[in-house]
This record gives sequence, C-alpha cells and structure tokens, in this order.
Amino acid sequence: MTTMQAISGTTAARLDGGSKIYGAGDTEVRALDNVTVEFEAGRYTAIMGPSGSGKSTLLHCTAGLDDLSDGRVYIGDVELGSLKEKDLTLLRREKVGFVFQAFNLIPTLNARENVLLPMLIAGEDHDDAWFEQVVGILGLGDRLSHRPSELSGGQQQRVAAARALVSRPEIIFADEPSGNLDSKSAAELLDFMRRAVKEFGQTIVMVTHDPVAASYADRVVFLEDGKIVDELHNPTTDSVIDRMRQFGA
Amino acid sequence: MIRTALKTVFAHKLRLALTALSVMMGVAFIAGTFIFTDTINDTFGQLFDDIYEGQDIIVQASTEFDVGFSGPPPIDEEVLDLVVAVPGVEVAEGGVQSSATIFDKDDEGIIPTGPPTLGASLTDDLRLAGNAGLREGRVPETGSEVAIDAATADSNDLVVGDVVKIETPVVTDTYEIVGIIRFGDSDNLAGATFAGFELETAQQVLDLEGQYSAITVIVEDGASVDVVRNSIAVALPEGVEAVSAADEAAEQSEALSESLGFLQNALLIFALVAVFVATFIIQNTFRIIVRQRQKELALMRAVGATGSQVVWMVVIEALVVGLVASILGLAFGFVIAGLLTAGMSAVGFDLPSTAATLAPRTIIVGMAVGVVVTIASAVLPAIRASRIPPVAALQDVDITLRMSDRRRTTIGVVLLVLGMGGILNGLFGDVVDFGPLDELTAIGVGAILVFLAVSMLSSLVVKPAARFLGWPMIKLDNMTGNLAVENSVRKPRRTATTASALMIGLALVTFFFVLGDSIKSSASASIEEGLRADYVVSIDGFSGGFSPALGDELREQPEIGAVTSLRFGFWDNDGSEDFVMGLDTDTVDETIFLGVVQGSTEALGEGGVFVQEDIFNDNDWVLGDTVPMGFVATGLQHVEIVGVFTEANVVQANYLVGMDFHEANFAGYGADLDFVLAVNAADGADADSARAVVDATASEYAGATVRDQVEYRESQENQVNQILVLFNGLLFLAVIIAVIGIVNTLALSIFERTREIGLLRAVGTSRWQIRRMITWEAMIVAIIGAVLGIVVGLFFGVSVTAALASQGIDVLSIPLGQIIGLVIFGAIAGLLAAILPARRASKLNILEAISYH
Repeated sequence: MTTMQAISGTTAARLDGGSKIYGAGDTEVRALDNVTVEFEAGRYTAIMGPSGSGKSTLLHCTAGLDDLSDGRVYIGDVELGSLKEKDLTLLRREKVGFVFQAFNLIPTLNARENVLLPMLIAGEDHDDAWFEQVVGILGLGDRLSHRPSELSGGQQQRVAAARALVSRPEIIFADEPSGNLDSKSAAELLDFMRRAVKEFGQTIVMVTHDPVAASYADRVVFLEDGKIVDELHNPTTDSVIDRMRQFGA
Repeated sequence: MIRTALKTVFAHKLRLALTALSVMMGVAFIAGTFIFTDTINDTFGQLFDDIYEGQDIIVQASTEFDVGFSGPPPIDEEVLDLVVAVPGVEVAEGGVQSSATIFDKDDEGIIPTGPPTLGASLTDDLRLAGNAGLREGRVPETGSEVAIDAATADSNDLVVGDVVKIETPVVTDTYEIVGIIRFGDSDNLAGATFAGFELETAQQVLDLEGQYSAITVIVEDGASVDVVRNSIAVALPEGVEAVSAADEAAEQSEALSESLGFLQNALLIFALVAVFVATFIIQNTFRIIVRQRQKELALMRAVGATGSQVVWMVVIEALVVGLVASILGLAFGFVIAGLLTAGMSAVGFDLPSTAATLAPRTIIVGMAVGVVVTIASAVLPAIRASRIPPVAALQDVDITLRMSDRRRTTIGVVLLVLGMGGILNGLFGDVVDFGPLDELTAIGVGAILVFLAVSMLSSLVVKPAARFLGWPMIKLDNMTGNLAVENSVRKPRRTATTASALMIGLALVTFFFVLGDSIKSSASASIEEGLRADYVVSIDGFSGGFSPALGDELREQPEIGAVTSLRFGFWDNDGSEDFVMGLDTDTVDETIFLGVVQGSTEALGEGGVFVQEDIFNDNDWVLGDTVPMGFVATGLQHVEIVGVFTEANVVQANYLVGMDFHEANFAGYGADLDFVLAVNAADGADADSARAVVDATASEYAGATVRDQVEYRESQENQVNQILVLFNGLLFLAVIIAVIGIVNTLALSIFERTREIGLLRAVGTSRWQIRRMITWEAMIVAIIGAVLGIVVGLFFGVSVTAALASQGIDVLSIPLGQIIGLVIFGAIAGLLAAILPARRASKLNILEAISYH
C-alpha cells in the first residue's frame, strides 16, 4: 500500500507573525493581525471563525494564493515571500493541493482529466496504482469519462478532492469543501478527507464554518478579528459548538 | 433607461474600444475613398481652371467623338487670321501642344510615372498663358532655346544657361534653357514635365507645321464673351468651334471625374467588403455581450422593464458605439486617403498632393454606414435579449434562445444554393433571367449569400476541424493544446462567426490569386504561342509611345530582320471606348502569330479592318460587312471587314488595321507614335550582337525598353503582380478587421472563463501555459477561417476564370504555394490576435478570478 511518508511532529506549513492589511488610514482593515500558527504534517486541521474573522485570508495567504502585508509563510522549508511568480506556480503545482467550495473543475475536461490536471499541466506521468486507489475510494470509477456538467455536486467535489490527493502534495488546502453539498454528500467527502489523513498521512488544512465538518479534524483553530483566539484538539461537533457560542457572547 | 445603457457602455471600455475599432476601420475605408477621389477631382478641377486662367475663348477642332486622352486634332493655322479679324477680339494667338521628353545630365529621359511629358509652344503675351509664369529668365525666342518647368529643373539640377537634350516626335536635339516656368503656386502641372518652345520651333519639332492645337482669345474690355464667341463661331470654317474657356475647363474637369468614377467605385467595393466583415464582428460581439449579461437583463425584466425597453437598451448601446466609431472613422479616413495615394504612387500613378477634401457627402455617408451597420448588427441580439424570461435572473442556467441547428442548416443550404446560383448565372448568363439584376449585381449578391451561407454552415465543421487542426498542438503541447481545442469547440457558432469574418477577406485574396495566376499563365501561353519576334520594344509608363524614327533606324541595321510597328488608337464603338491597333502588314506575319482564319494580312494593308473571331461571330458579321468606327480626327467611318483573326492577346486589341489606315485616321496629334515594336534578328545574325544593336538604338529614345521573349513574359506577369499587390493591399484592411474580431471574441470568451483560468492557475498552471492555451485557440479559429476562405475563394476563382475563357484567360492555374502561404498567414494572424487577450488572461489575479461570479 502506498502511503505518505509523513513524520508526525514535523511542520507542513507555518505562518510566522503574518498580517494582511486591506486599505489604509480610516478604512484600514486588518484581515490577519500578527498571526503565528503551525500546521503539522500528517494532521487534519480545521480553521473556524465567524464571517469576516479572516479565516479565508489565512488559508489564501498560507497557500500562496495571496501575499502577506507583513510576516512570513513557509510551506515545508520554503519561505513563500522570497519566491518569484514562476516558482510559486511550480510550488502550487507540486507541493499544494486545493479543494474550493465550488467551481473546482474545468468544464471542458472529463473527470479523469480533471483529477490528473496538475500532472497533465506538468507533463508528468502519474502513478497508476495510486490513481486507481484514490478514485476507487472516492467511488468515481464509473464516472471518469464524464464531464463536470454530467456529475452531481457531491461527485464534482469528490473529483476535486481526488485531484488534490493524486499528486501527493505536501499539504492540501480546502476552502469550505462541503459548503455547497447536502448532508449525505458532505459526510462522504469529509470522511474521505479524514481517511486520507489517517491512512495515507496526508496533511489537510480546511476552512469551514460548519461545526459538523470541523469535527472531522484532528485540531480546530479558532479565529476572530484576524487573531487566533483558541484551539481544540480531537474536537467533537458539540465541543466545537460550545466554543463557537463564546463568539456571540 | 438611456442612462443605464450609457453606463453599461462606459463600464466596459475595452469592449467598447474593440467593437468600435472594427466599425471605425470600415467607415475609415469609405471616408478615405471619398476623400481620396474628391481630392483628386478638386486638384484637377483647380488645375484646369488654372490652365485657362485669364483666357476667354478657345478655338479648336470640333469632334464628333470624344475618346482617349488626346484632345481634339489640330486646326489649320490660317484659322487664326479669321479669328483676329472678328470685332471685339483684343488678342488671339495660336499654340501647339504635344509631347517632349527632357533628358537629365546622365542622358536619361525624365519620365514621370503617370503624368505626361508635355511639349508646347510658349507665348510672350503672358495673359494668354493661363497661370503659367516665369520664375526666372525669359521665354524662348529662337529655335535653340527652351523653357522648362521649375520642378523638373530643380530636381535635376538644371538651371538657366544649361544645355539639355529634348526628344520630340520628330527630332532629338539640344536646347539652351532660357527660362524656368511655374504654374501659379505649383512648380509643375500636376506632375507633368514641361518643355516650352518658341511657336515656330514648337510647330516644327512637335510635327504640327502649319497647324495649331488651339487658338486662345482674350476679348476687349467691356465686350461680352458670348457675343464675341458667337461672332467667331460664324467666321470659322466647318470642323472648328469656339468655346468659352470656362466651359472648356469645366468639360475637361468633368471628363476626368468620369474616368475617376471607375476608380472610386472599385475602391468603394473594397470598402464595402471591409464594412461587411465589420458587421460580422459587431454582431458576434453583441451576441456574446447579451449572453454574458443575460442575468443582468433578466433582473431588469424581473423588476419591471418591458421587453422593448431591453431592446432599446441594447440598441442605444449600439448607437453610442456606432457614433463614436463613425466619428473616429471619418478622422482615420484621412490616413486611409494618404495610404491610397501612396499605394497608387507605388504602382506608378503619381498624384499631385494637395490639401485633402472633406465633402459633406463623405461625412453623411460615413456616419450613416457606421451607425446603421452597428445598430443593424445589434438588433437581432437585442431582440434575443428581450426574450430572456425574468426567471433567468434567479437560475444559474444558460437559457439558450437561438435558432435550432436544423433550421440554421436549412437556411444555410438554401442561401448557399441561391448564392452559387447567382454567381454562376451572372458569370455564364442566360440560365435564369433576374430582370433588373444585371450580371455584376447577380455575382455580387451571390457572393454575399455564399459568405452568409458558409458562415452559418461552418459551425457544423468547427468541431471536426478544430480537432483535426488541434491534433499537432495536442501532440506538441499536451494539456494546453487539449484545453485550447476544447475551448474552441465550446461555442461552435461563436467560433464559426469569428472565423467567417476572416474567411471573407481571405476568400477574396484567394480569388485574386487564382484569377491573377490564370491571367499570368494565359498571357504567358499566348505570348509563347503568338509572339514570333525575338525582341519587343515597348514604352514604360503611360505616355503614348515613342518616335517612329526608332523603328526606322532599326530597319536599316544589318543585324535586324523584320520590324513591325504597332500603333494604338482609341475609337468610339457605338458609344463606348474601344481600341484598335495599327500594324505593319508586310512584316506582321513574321513577328506575331495572329491566327488569321479569313482574309490575309496583305489585304489588310490596303485598308479595312480585321476583327477578332469571337466578336465577329457574336455580331453575326460576314466578310464585307462594315464596322461603324468613330474617330476623333475623322469622325464616323464605315470600315469594311477584310479578315478575321483569333489571337488578340499579343496585339492587345480586338480590331486591327493597316498602318496607312491608322495614319489617315489618327494622324496629327500624338497617335502617330509607335506603341510597340516587334523586332526579329536578321537571318543568320548573332543573337548577342542583334540584341546589342536593338539595345543601343533604343537607348537613344526616352522610355523605350527592349525585352526578349522571356523578359517580355516576365514584364507582363509583373503587371498582373502589381495589380494583385494593390488589390490584396486593399483587402488587407478587411483582414485586419477580422483579426480584431478574433481579439474581441477571445477577450470576451476569456472574460467568461475567468474562474476557470483562475482555477487552472491555482492548481499550478503557469502564466506561460495560459498564454499558450489562448494562442493555440486563436490559431485554430484563424486557420479555420483561412481554410474556409480558401475553399470559397477557389470556387470564386475557378468559376470566374472559366467564365473568362473566351476573353483569352483560357488557362486555369491555381497557385498552390500562395494558397499554402495563406494558411500560414492565418496561423500567424491567430498568433498575433492572441497576444493581448493571452497577456490579459495570464495576468489575472488568481484569488479574484476564483471568487469571480
């Protein structure tokens, strides 16, 4: 069986004193305010917080989709701020996987091509056994020749998850991956993501506002007004909801 | 509502700019054509006014027929005494005018391309000289003096006191420059060179002894020009008339406008092609815009806008685009007019440069075409927009409101059949009678229908064509190539319309390639077959020819065998201008194969006319019938048909006469110049030395060029090539508009695919790969357009060539190299079209793109 050779305890990604400021003067908004956080390899981390707390900004900046106003971000040992656009693209292609809330797939490509997209872009061969295993687990085997428009919402998100996983990136960033799904499809997707961490040692960082989704993670980081205010380990839906209630207070 | 529409227009500046650009270029072409021809008209109108400035009455030969450019024949100089004796005449003088070539210091004839080389008498009464005046020196007083125009003097470093060589129809001699002449504010007469002699000398060297070209009259102060003119007219012998100088200026100016009318119409056809291509682009743009704004428009409907309000919104947007584009187009028209002038000059028509003329008609037509075309292109998409149901605002679905594929195909096929039928009927005639539609209209309308049909039907071939063309791209560039192919077939109609815009221009280019190549091949074949002479001496440029003395000199050389002179002449063939060629009947059989099927060339030497076989048969003539030929000099002559010939290509005329007949009917005003000499080396003479003799003899005559058979063939091909370059240059604008269309469609498509591109970038696609993806797509679209154009163009070219078989274009030749070149051109056009959209796509901010809705 193929597994990620991740060693628990090493850091897959790290944000060091990261700030993201929009606007200036009176209209200045600190989406991230001097945040320091580590994402351990082989762990499933959820980021939670109310709307506008900066959780999506945290994800985008850590994933190299957006740049920090201040501070540093590392993926593995690589500091992203020092990378040129071209190297950043290569890093995303080789070391990072993405699952977005919606519009994850290229409509002109079929499911198989969408899963293999990062390798196709790189012009690299893929590991057939690993590919079969991933699509097998996700139950996509018979849908591979279909285009996204012929797939259900749940199937589309599973294809996106398979794409993120099949290139065996160092870290997968998921932005509300189950946000648009019914509860059954959401549960299937989240369960698969947890299996990827447990069985293959994959590292996943997921932004969500759903306590049920967060309960699939090993660790939940709570964000408010651009600052990390708390974290939970081995969360349950109830413990997350309890913690969330404190934001309203 | 208008404000909403205007806001939308200005919210999308780039879209506005690209759409407006295609309209602008079409309008610019139309405006440029008008400005160009109006400017020429004005220039020459002014020129004729200047020439007759200060003069009251012109006495000259009256002619029944007015063909060619030679003006009336000369009159007897005794007429002057009659004119001078008329009461009220203050001063009257006779003058002569013909051609004379001035030589530069390197002993080369100074021959402008286009304008003539004028030789004339100069009067010392400057009131009679129009606006001509002396810049320095004086008028010539003896037979060895000359005055020349300031432009020729200045550009050849000739000054008063220099001695120059001048060639006239009678003699080549040297003269001392005693005066430099200007014409009003110009240094020359519309580009012509001018050599002015003392009157008697002029009569002598211009072969007009005892004759005047015209008599110029100024009436006494207080006398009425009309009254004096009537008195002169009464005194004149038959065949001589008195006209007011103002009327003469107007008449000459009008005659010139008429001949320019042809040029204007030809240019307008090219302008209309550009406008036609632009309508494709505009229509496509509005269709895409409406589709992209479907939700927005549906929302307006949901909040209570009526369907017709939605139509108005789109139409107002079109109106703004049309207005802006037309105004810019008018301004850009001046640039086009400048390019046309430069283009004409490049192929040998030097035109005088003066301030450009912007007539009200130019503004009205330009604005009308720009605005009407834009609005008409927007109406269908607008109506489609009004049918978007309000519910579309709430749903995330693409509501397709369009013609079904089946209906589209049916209409396309019907149009194709009608169009091809129209063309074939126009070409080969008589199959169906369209009544008021003449042949050219049938062909033109047919061509438009074929273009529309192909653009409708081509959406059917877009998928297989893109997959086929994309195959090497996928091989070369796996993922990006694949994405490009898939993107190009996503909206087959959009791709088809975009490609069709390019198809139109390239179809016409292909058509000209095929027709041109066939003309060249046919000409080569007929020269090979019909030209027996070893050498051809002909005149370069547009002057009437060279002195017959050249031929006479050659005939005396021992190395030279038969020499046949060919002389050109215009005649009036039942109201339209036709040509006749006069030739040496005793040598022509040795130098040119005429394919005489009835009669003999010896008989032609005694008089009568030879008629080309097809014309002979079309008129149901028999030998002995007469052809009514109207000559400027001798009026209507009923000329007996004494023979029939088949090969008209080498002699370049359908009617042939003997040299005696030609001299009798054209003599006295310039048409007694040789147009072509067909020259044989003497039997047994060394080819090199014969050639050397011809070269040496011809070099003494300005403009006379010697070519052997191969060189002559090449020179004929070059003439066709020049016209091809001109036509394809004019079509280039239509092609540029089509390329702008590709840019526009790509930009709009990329706008639609913002999130997709963002996603591709997020998962690791490099900017360079995005650029390649867009570029491949553009190339696919462009190559489809090129190939469609070639197919349509081949149909046009082959059928037109077939229709012209009886006109001597009997060899069909398809230039494969040029056609392959067009495909490559299409690929390059796609490459260039992709530059801006690809850059834009590759620079998209990933985060904004993936969260774009």
